[in-house]
Amino acid sequence: MEYTRRSVLSALGLGAFAAATGCSAAPSGDGQAAADGPAEGEITLLTPIYEGSTGKQLLEGKLLPAFKQKNPNVTVKVDYTTYAALNEKLTTGLAGGLMPDVVMLGVGWIPPFAHKKVLAALPDDLGQRFDYEDRVLEPCRYDGKLYALPLILDTRIVTYRKDMFAEAGIKQPPKDWTELRAMARELTRADGSGKLTRVGFDPFSIDLRQCWETFLFANDGTLFDESGQQVKFNDDRGVEALQLFLDVIKDKSGDYSFKSAAGQPSTLAQGRSAMMMANNSLWVQLQEQTPELLKEDKVGAFMLANRVPAMFQGGTLVSRSATTKHAAAAQALVEFLGTPDTILPTAAQRGAVPGVQDLQTSDYVENNGFVKLALGNMDKARSEGGTPAWMEIREKIKTTLETAVVGQRTAKEAIDELANQSKEAISRL
Amino acid sequence: MTGTMVPERVREVVAGPATNQPRRLLRSRRRAGLLMVAPALLHALIWIGIPLVAAVVLSFTSYDVLTPPRFAGLDNFRELVHDDVFRRAVLNTSVYTFFTVPVAMTIALLIALMLNSKLTGRAIFRTAIFIPQVTATIAVALVWLWIYDPRSGLANAILSFLGLDGPNWLSSTSWAMPAVIMVGIWQGIGLKMLIYLAALQSLPGELYEAASVDGASKVRQFFSLTVPLLKPATFFVFVTSVIGAFQSFDQVYILTDGGPANSTTMMTYEIYKSAFREFRMGYACAQSLVLFALLLMLTLVNRRITGGDRGSR
Repeated sequence: MEYTRRSVLSALGLGAFAAATGCSAAPSGDGQAAADGPAEGEITLLTPIYEGSTGKQLLEGKLLPAFKQKNPNVTVKVDYTTYAALNEKLTTGLAGGLMPDVVMLGVGWIPPFAHKKVLAALPDDLGQRFDYEDRVLEPCRYDGKLYALPLILDTRIVTYRKDMFAEAGIKQPPKDWTELRAMARELTRADGSGKLTRVGFDPFSIDLRQCWETFLFANDGTLFDESGQQVKFNDDRGVEALQLFLDVIKDKSGDYSFKSAAGQPSTLAQGRSAMMMANNSLWVQLQEQTPELLKEDKVGAFMLANRVPAMFQGGTLVSRSATTKHAAAAQALVEFLGTPDTILPTAAQRGAVPGVQDLQTSDYVENNGFVKLALGNMDKARSEGGTPAWMEIREKIKTTLETAVVGQRTAKEAIDELANQSKEAISRL
Repeated sequence: MTGTMVPERVREVVAGPATNQPRRLLRSRRRAGLLMVAPALLHALIWIGIPLVAAVVLSFTSYDVLTPPRFAGLDNFRELVHDDVFRRAVLNTSVYTFFTVPVAMTIALLIALMLNSKLTGRAIFRTAIFIPQVTATIAVALVWLWIYDPRSGLANAILSFLGLDGPNWLSSTSWAMPAVIMVGIWQGIGLKMLIYLAALQSLPGELYEAASVDGASKVRQFFSLTVPLLKPATFFVFVTSVIGAFQSFDQVYILTDGGPANSTTMMTYEIYKSAFREFRMGYACAQSLVLFALLLMLTLVNRRITGGDRGSR
């Protein structure tokens, strides 16, 4: 055989290609390990929650020992991460063939991973074990199958200062965006030099993507069609949602730089905003940082409404890997983590909303005003995602919308650009 | 390798030895040399060579880690040409490099000159200046997050003391990049200073004595002796600093997340986002190749302009 430079280079290239991709443990075909048989073996759990020493103590000191009692032949090794690093952890794990047996994912993450056959479908009757709100199970499904169970939810609601409302003579929270904007203007304060000391409305202390989506949902808009193949947010409803941010900045009842910094009390707690978009976990933060505001009943919350009342629903779902060697053990853990007994302490530890309605009358829910509001209105909750291309699209939303917020583009231009990027991402599926 | 630059001994060996003994000696030295560099070569081949070839190959594919790669021809590169955000990242990285490298090098040289003199407590100063280099960027960035806090941060407190209104450092498209650059300069001084200090300490004292005897002032000595003699060190510091600046990631990741509106996004940050957040390994590899090509080009241009490390011979 004659070796030419081209053949040698081709061989080298192919060898490197094989080296780079051959170690990938990407699942292929529909082959998924069945979960029947005895639950036994050592399994891994990848979790972006249970962070910090209290979270670890709850998981490894209380919950997993209870699981072990029920499943004595299963050992669970926990791999902690954060939501910021979860994607990276999964990517490298998949590439290295180290996909955890049980994985906790965010809302919107199921379609991309189920589409790629990384997750195993769960028995559908698991979705009927407890009192689940339909909206809560929606992001757990893909292609008609159940792939995950809800653990805890994180909703986005509007929180407000009752004392500031009373001072301004405002008796009721706004019913639509026109009222919201009028109230925001009325509640805004500036010092003698015109420098803002309080914004009437702070939508920017939460992630811009989730904030815009909440406004989109309250405007009766949606991200994608049911198939997840068509972009639907680029109509008037999506543009109006973004335009509202630009309008509050323009009339100075809101300011993009006027937002809560990480680890610091919120603008609401500091009295620097009268209304603020917030995660329901703000209640726990207020309890720790400014408990007097709750004791004196100075803080309230309501659902954002315009064409319809709506609430953004994020959260943590638990799912099983399609490639696990201990399918029965992994499924047992998924089922265990999805029970109210596990969900309640997990939600309480983070100030989150329990994923099941069964806990509506629990002391925790009764004593947490924001969680109570959210759990009582889960029928109005809407989730992000809904397309297998979500992991790529979600990364584009904030940066693209931000260009409008800082004045580089109009709302329409930014939404159109985002729609184009989303269509391209979907076309690559 | 001609002319007087080549040592006599080497020329003798290259041209052909008079006897077999030097040839055997040379061969055995070569073998010993190869044996000694073999582990490093093997390491470079496994951890640099193969990934580099793999990145080149993967850049022509559509690969999401979850499913096997599909050949995509030049699609990734075509998309790169029209990718506004990546173009912005290239510009931001260039701006960041343009400001951090010369400024940090100048400050580092000045500090090294200061620490090379008979300064009381110079060991303490040396340590203090080197600390940012060995401190985890995450910790450093968290401190800077506080410094840049528009309400309670140190930066605006100082400006307020001077009667100035501080900006919203990290939320402003105009101020976020200068804020990141300042962190880059501060963090990069330590290592550069150390290299310059080591180079300064190896400079031949007799040259300075001769210059002093000839009546050259300290300034003249600095520009006519120190600067030329430091050329190899400057070349090394410059090349490693440019590469380091082009690979900056942590500051942006912690401080700004590339924002606001992509005003601080860098090439490495975009590569990271494509690969690990969007699962687009093929596209990330294409972006990496652009970064590689830019760095290679910059190093070659710099070598041509400065004459590389010739001054050390």
